[in-house]
Amino acid sequence: MQKFKKHIPHYFSLIGVFVAGIIGFYVYSYDRFFQIGVVVALAAAYVSWGIIHHTIHKDICLTVVLEYIAVAILGVTIVLSLIFRV
Amino acid sequence: MEKLIHLLIPRHTNNHKAKMLHSFSLLVIASFLILFQAVINFSPKIGGAILGYAASISRDEVVRLTNLKRAEAGLSPFSINSSLNNAAYAKGADMINKDYWAHVAPDGTQPWAFFNSVGYKYRYAGENLARDFSNANDAVTAWMNSPTHRDNILNPKYKEIGIGIIDGDLAGSDTTVIVQFFGAGYADAVREPIAQAATTENIKPAAVATIKPTAVPTVVPTFVLEINTAPAVITTPNAEQQVLVSPFTTTRNVSLIVVALLLLVFVVDAYLVSKRRISRIAGRSFAHVIFLGMILSIVIILRSGQIL
Repeated sequence: MQKFKKHIPHYFSLIGVFVAGIIGFYVYSYDRFFQIGVVVALAAAYVSWGIIHHTIHKDICLTVVLEYIAVAILGVTIVLSLIFRV
Repeated sequence: MEKLIHLLIPRHTNNHKAKMLHSFSLLVIASFLILFQAVINFSPKIGGAILGYAASISRDEVVRLTNLKRAEAGLSPFSINSSLNNAAYAKGADMINKDYWAHVAPDGTQPWAFFNSVGYKYRYAGENLARDFSNANDAVTAWMNSPTHRDNILNPKYKEIGIGIIDGDLAGSDTTVIVQFFGAGYADAVREPIAQAATTENIKPAAVATIKPTAVPTVVPTFVLEINTAPAVITTPNAEQQVLVSPFTTTRNVSLIVVALLLLVFVVDAYLVSKRRISRIAGRSFAHVIFLGMILSIVIILRSGQIL
């Protein structure tokens, strides 16, 4: 819990980026290319956030980076499969 | 049971991290989702009736909803023009037959060619396209959310509307295409700019004594219309038809299940690791939960259908 409280400012920035992405998705619901751009940008921002966050806390390693990349790939796959399905 | 616990609960056998949350497992899940999409794409060709898509969209409903939007904007409603209906249907049939999804056909045929083909002499003309919508309301809402399509619907220059709805195969996918044609004939357009005659209330009595009211000359251009008198074959989709198994809905349901399960496993994993005070090298579970929460929101927001 102590560790979580220490990370709160970082989490706020991450939540801010994601909320902006969701709003962008909703507002530009008619623009597929924009939506594809948004989801790829959000995934890239998420991986970047992970690398920066763990670098600041001095616990970065390849396993951690790969974990963020794997979660990002899964998220992008889910959203793109729906965008290309519509 | 042992394997299930190994998959979902952090313990010594999975290096104190649920096996499902390992990077390799996440990539395997992503691969399965891609494979699932391939199955959806190919299953209709293999099994025929596994997945079907039939629209419950009627032309009258599209016109009614479109006119509702115009009424909300204080505009006069469109009147239905049967020639425009034929032209819109011809455009939809052309897209299905030539397998394209665009305003301009691959052979360069412009949308206006379809207006001309039914003998509709337009002063102004416009086109909205939609596909893969399961109902008229979603299609009209999508058009209204797009500035350029909304401009077409709320353009005061357009007076008439024609709707073409056609089911068919587009780029390998069963779909329903909606074509919305807008137009204003020459007669409508020429009448518009002519100023109204001044009312007698604005004319001073002295002037009235010498001026006799004269009719405002109305220039009506004459055209020799080459109207195609051959009746167009129109097959309107049955309004009672329903979406049998929509590929989009199936994909969305599978996505929702996968994301919800991952979220649950991440939360349980984070709770147990925190409770047992296990120290491990891993990403932040809370960050993963936020990211997957965002993906879940997007999956919920996304609606089927494309407009052009």
